[in-house]
Amino acid sequence: MKRWFVGSASLLTAVALVAAGCGSSSKSSSSQTTSTSSGAQGGTLMTVANAAPSGSPDPQVNYTLQEWQLLIFTHDGLVAFKRTGGKEGTKLVPDLAESIPKPTNGGKTWTFTIRKGIKFSNGKTLTGADVKATFERLFKIGDSPNAGTWYNVIQGADACLKTPKTCDLSQGITVNGNKVTFKLTTADPEWLDKLAVPFAFILPASTPAKNVNIPPPGTGPYMWAEYAPNKQIKLVRNPYFKEWSVDAQPKGNPDVIIQKFGLTVEAEVTQVENGQADWMFDQPPADRLGELSSSKYASQVHVNPLTSTWYFAFNVNEPPFNNLKARQGVNFATDRAALVKIAGGPKLAVPTCQVLPPNFPGYVPYCPYTKNPGSGKWTAPDLAKAQQLINASGTKGAAVKVNTDTTDTDKALGLYFVGLLNKLGYKATLQALSADIQYPYIQNSKNHVQFAFSDWFQDYPAASDFLNILLGCNSIHPNSNSSPNIAQFCDKGIQAKMDHAGQVGITDPTSANKIWAQVDKEVTDQAPWVAMYNPKYIDFLSSRVKGYLFSPQWYFLLDQASVK
Amino acid sequence: MVIVLFAITVMTFLIFFATPGVDPSRQLAGRNPDPATVEAIKHQFGLDRPLPIRYALMMKRLFISRDLVSYGNQALLVVPAIQSAAPVTFSLVFGAAVLWVIGAIAIGLLMVTFKGTFIDPLLMVLALIGISMPVFWLGEVANLITQDRLHDTIFFSWVPPLGYTPFTQNPWQWFLHLIIPWITLSILYIGFYARVLRANLLEVQNEDYVRTAKAKGLSPRNVLVRHMLRTSMITFVSLFGLDFGVLVGGGALLTEVVFGLPGVGQLTYNSLRSLDLPVIMATVIYGAFFITIMSALVDIVYARLDPRIRPA
Amino acid sequence: MAEFAFEPGPEVHLAAGESAKEISGRSPWRLAGRRLVRNRLAMASLALFVLIVVVSLLAPFYATHLAKTDPFTSNVTGTTVVDGKEVDVVQEGGSGLGLGEVPIGPTWQWNYMIGADNQGRDVMARVLYGGRASLQIGVASAVICTVIALALALLSGFFRGWTDSVLSRIMDLIWAFPVYLLAISLATVLLTKAGGLQWGPVTINPSSLWVPTWIIAVVYIPYVYRPLRGQVLSVREKEYVEASVSQGASNLRLMFAEILPNVISTAIVLLPLMIATTILTEAALSFLGIGVQAPQASWGTIIDDGQNLLYTRPLVAIVPGIFIVLTVLSLNVLGDGVRDALDPRAKVRVRE
Repeated sequence: MKRWFVGSASLLTAVALVAAGCGSSSKSSSSQTTSTSSGAQGGTLMTVANAAPSGSPDPQVNYTLQEWQLLIFTHDGLVAFKRTGGKEGTKLVPDLAESIPKPTNGGKTWTFTIRKGIKFSNGKTLTGADVKATFERLFKIGDSPNAGTWYNVIQGADACLKTPKTCDLSQGITVNGNKVTFKLTTADPEWLDKLAVPFAFILPASTPAKNVNIPPPGTGPYMWAEYAPNKQIKLVRNPYFKEWSVDAQPKGNPDVIIQKFGLTVEAEVTQVENGQADWMFDQPPADRLGELSSSKYASQVHVNPLTSTWYFAFNVNEPPFNNLKARQGVNFATDRAALVKIAGGPKLAVPTCQVLPPNFPGYVPYCPYTKNPGSGKWTAPDLAKAQQLINASGTKGAAVKVNTDTTDTDKALGLYFVGLLNKLGYKATLQALSADIQYPYIQNSKNHVQFAFSDWFQDYPAASDFLNILLGCNSIHPNSNSSPNIAQFCDKGIQAKMDHAGQVGITDPTSANKIWAQVDKEVTDQAPWVAMYNPKYIDFLSSRVKGYLFSPQWYFLLDQASVK
Repeated sequence: MVIVLFAITVMTFLIFFATPGVDPSRQLAGRNPDPATVEAIKHQFGLDRPLPIRYALMMKRLFISRDLVSYGNQALLVVPAIQSAAPVTFSLVFGAAVLWVIGAIAIGLLMVTFKGTFIDPLLMVLALIGISMPVFWLGEVANLITQDRLHDTIFFSWVPPLGYTPFTQNPWQWFLHLIIPWITLSILYIGFYARVLRANLLEVQNEDYVRTAKAKGLSPRNVLVRHMLRTSMITFVSLFGLDFGVLVGGGALLTEVVFGLPGVGQLTYNSLRSLDLPVIMATVIYGAFFITIMSALVDIVYARLDPRIRPA
Repeated sequence: MAEFAFEPGPEVHLAAGESAKEISGRSPWRLAGRRLVRNRLAMASLALFVLIVVVSLLAPFYATHLAKTDPFTSNVTGTTVVDGKEVDVVQEGGSGLGLGEVPIGPTWQWNYMIGADNQGRDVMARVLYGGRASLQIGVASAVICTVIALALALLSGFFRGWTDSVLSRIMDLIWAFPVYLLAISLATVLLTKAGGLQWGPVTINPSSLWVPTWIIAVVYIPYVYRPLRGQVLSVREKEYVEASVSQGASNLRLMFAEILPNVISTAIVLLPLMIATTILTEAALSFLGIGVQAPQASWGTIIDDGQNLLYTRPLVAIVPGIFIVLTVLSLNVLGDGVRDALDPRAKVRVRE
């Protein structure tokens, strides 16, 4: 997904989003590997964020990390990502289902047995009918972002997409007592991942088929008591919750979780320092990092790697970067150490040349755009080679608009490239648009964007989530504001490999990942992007918070911390 | 007045939709929607209808059915949001206005009284420093001092965390929360008004009626305050009408943002940042309303200040 | 000491040859000019203002020959020499966790005199360059604004009736106008249309300084108009105006000869005060994309950059602020001097 704090970060303060690779040398505690729900119970976890999650509060529509972090402990899916830190946190475990079934019929039929006795926060017991109704609602509401791209593998979904209001998935979902059977149109190696994200969290069948203003009752240990976008979110305990799986849905520690809105990011840092808030959702601004590094606060700061890549996309259909040599030249010239400095330093960002982030399925370190390539790591720019390539490309002197948004870090990154391109012989100028305009703007081919900033965070741990969505031929929608393949990169050979990897992944994920690594390498060689760095994420907690857990999927697990 | 409001709303509407890259249906659809979703939303919100119809729909939802929803977050109903934000802005602006009016009059009188000594230039320099500083900087520095660096000292430990407490909930906390914002906001205006007042007072001192008052044997203070001040206040009052109108209508955006006050200014700021037309429209109308009212009020006050001005 | 200043103090200066008893029949403008020149304080502040302008104009010289830095290109990985040692211009956080990158602080040498900003650029050089943009936009827009507002106030206050009504309503409209929305919108248009916006024969490109100048000028017209209109309303009732009317003076003569001189004093007070406001508004507009485009600088944009360095390098925001204060101060004192010089009712007192 696109990063979440476009629109929630204060315009006038830097947002230093950072990511660290695993095995970082940061002195603060990093992710732990065991899940724990044995912290002290009680109290109120007070968190702060600059603004409410943008978009509809409806769990089947909202696509922000900010709300997802809260939905995971108010609702459940059939399966879940293990609620723990480290690599364990990317494993899928059964949640509402008793166990993870093996699919039959060539991977197209999945039968889940729903646990008995689980209740929603309105007292009603969960049944198979709720499951079917949830998936039908996904289409009925009409504005679920991924209904047509992820969940259209369910049989009958295509008809639902055409006539959403009368969606009937009886063809694709059959309910037999507490057994629910899904029939898919094709085998989907990511089907379980898709069931583990909030779009597929089970809601009561009685939930109306239009966007709700506060998430409906769920089966998790907490329930939504208040959702006032200009004031706060409040979650309280679900009285009907009984823990059935500590791996999938542990009971939470605080009694109440609040997220207050309206403070600037600087003010949030001060509040956490003063103990007036326990955690801030936004990243601390650059000028507070020194303070936070000091011995006074260091033990309250946690830095973790993110499976995310920040990049500038070339438009491979637009001169001058429709020329491969030009693109590769710019890649060789880019001083990724400078970009890392802009991001907040090597402790907060790791340079990269490729698409996939470290520790991601299919990731094999690969960096051709450095001095002395071969180790897979970026070390230094190679200006001589760069100049050679650009001279050979014949694109020198071309006017380039470097597109970015007005957020401080992104603008600084853009300015770096303006300087670099001018040094290389182009005529570069900066085009900084307001953040909410910039992202759709650069996707629309009729804007003829040449070189634009963007970033990407995983939806779930699958290589296709990066490679296919951002660089696949099917992700190009001409003249639309919704065309995530910003580079307009479409290579038939590479696409065939991606499809092949998808096929292989149904039965043999390990081999598939080897193919994805090959795809990553080949795409990087074609240089549709200048991949910049993989950021790390800073969690700053107040001194009274204990039991910090960082999940690679959901980041800070709020309800596992304790404040007593 | 209605004409002004109508014209403003139409212009706001047109400017919004003339901005390239603006796509409310995509905004409403959230992140990375597929094109079909975007089309569905477009239809749902009437964004595929012609401009005048969209305008009429929005006005209807704003004034008549009062169910206008924000483009940024669909749980945010615009009219209740403004209603709950209004008292915050009133509290901030009233308090600051009291401070800056009293302060400016005091400083202006002082500057005139002590003209010729070092006090006049000193006050002038202070006044000018006040108006030359951007409010966001001033507010951040205030926070840096009161919330962060000196928070634990005796001077500022009483400063509560940033935010707003309604007067009806806890008057004392309401007051404490607002003191620093009041001072910060008033610093911006005191200097301007004091300078203007000083200039007007100095002009007026040569008028006949002043000489008459002095000749009558009235004390200097009496002459200054009861005779000179009134007619020197015309500029003062004009500016006050303009500033107060704008501030109450949401003009103190940066002050509210820096101090975490959930007022109309903060709504305006957030809506501009995310190009949220319904909220922008509502705040613009809200602001225009107060501005036009203050404008009319000021004209009435002129006549009371300087009886020679015949009413319009 | 604490006497109320009914008599003008020693700041009123006599022109050469002027005596307390009579001001001989020289042109009032010449007299005013001479009085102004004799006013030491006003001359000093004029000198200060000129100094600021000159220093700003010399910015290229400073950057190239003295500081030897490029104030506009991103220089995040650059180095400089301080006390004989080579140091990074933007340094990795040191103590504890070592998070973040901090730009170098003041070196008090020619090179990076007051330090660097987040991009490793020399702040002092930028401040000097910034003066050109800020002074140009700030002064031009304040002057344009005041002149137009004065003209409209004269018309409005003098003729009253329909003229006044219509103008006042237009002023309300302008004052209530969502300028920031317009700025964002216009910035987006200018930035995204290839080659700038075409409006008849005029091409506006996004970095043109006239765009923010005119926008700021127009936005503040109501602010200057209203007080001046109030003054006009007050002055037109005065006895000397009545006297002039009874002598058969035309409207134009009344406006320019009788009312204007008495209103211009307020205008002159407002003008330098408005410059402070316009310079700061320019910062906001540049931030939104209208006017000074990154990496170009103005005092306001440097203060914006300094916002993110407030806790570590506060000087980046303070130094341009000092320049703004000095400019505003000097113009205000000069303005006082001009007003005193022009004041026809100044009662002069022979100095002992």
